[in-house]
Amino acid sequence: MKLGRVIGRVTLSRAVPALEGGRFLVVSPMGRDQYSQGLRGPWRPGPDPSLVVYDNLGGAVDQVIGYVEGREAAQPFDRPTPVDAINVALADELFYRPWTG
Amino acid sequence: MLLARVEGHVVAVRKHPSLEGWRLVVCQPIDAQGRPEGTPQVAIDALGAGLHQQVVISSDGAAARRAVGDEKSPVRWLIIGVVDERVPGERL
Repeated sequence: MKLGRVIGRVTLSRAVPALEGGRFLVVSPMGRDQYSQGLRGPWRPGPDPSLVVYDNLGGAVDQVIGYVEGREAAQPFDRPTPVDAINVALADELFYRPWTG
Repeated sequence: MLLARVEGHVVAVRKHPSLEGWRLVVCQPIDAQGRPEGTPQVAIDALGAGLHQQVVISSDGAAARRAVGDEKSPVRWLIIGVVDERVPGERL
């Protein structure tokens, strides 16, 4: 999974049947610098473009989440679902010590 | 599979049930010289990799699902080995 900052939410008035009622977050992926900035306090967006992530854990704006991208994101669903990114963890603590050589 | 260096870990109370009990390790992909390359990945770890140790991580979701024992787990990256030597005879 990757870590990302929730920067917004999306609601869909019309959606494919498998996704009706789903919750979606707009997430800005954290780069190396964002890891150093930690989970709390001021932050700057990372270098990678934001994406929409399916959410059934209840992620909120400004929170840091762990999300999985790719085929595995659809794995929890009982029927084929067109999802390629899913929230799998709400980050409470990040212990990060970058290697300096 | 990517060569990476362990740079930390994540604690999460709310998470997919299949991740319960697993260490979530921050793995920074590195190049052949050991320089950071790209965005950190969080992988599950059954090997007990230590801080700043070099590891190989794999994005084989099927293998990761077998590791956690849940066919419906969205888990993807797992640490598949801890690196001893990158150049034969030169231990890290």
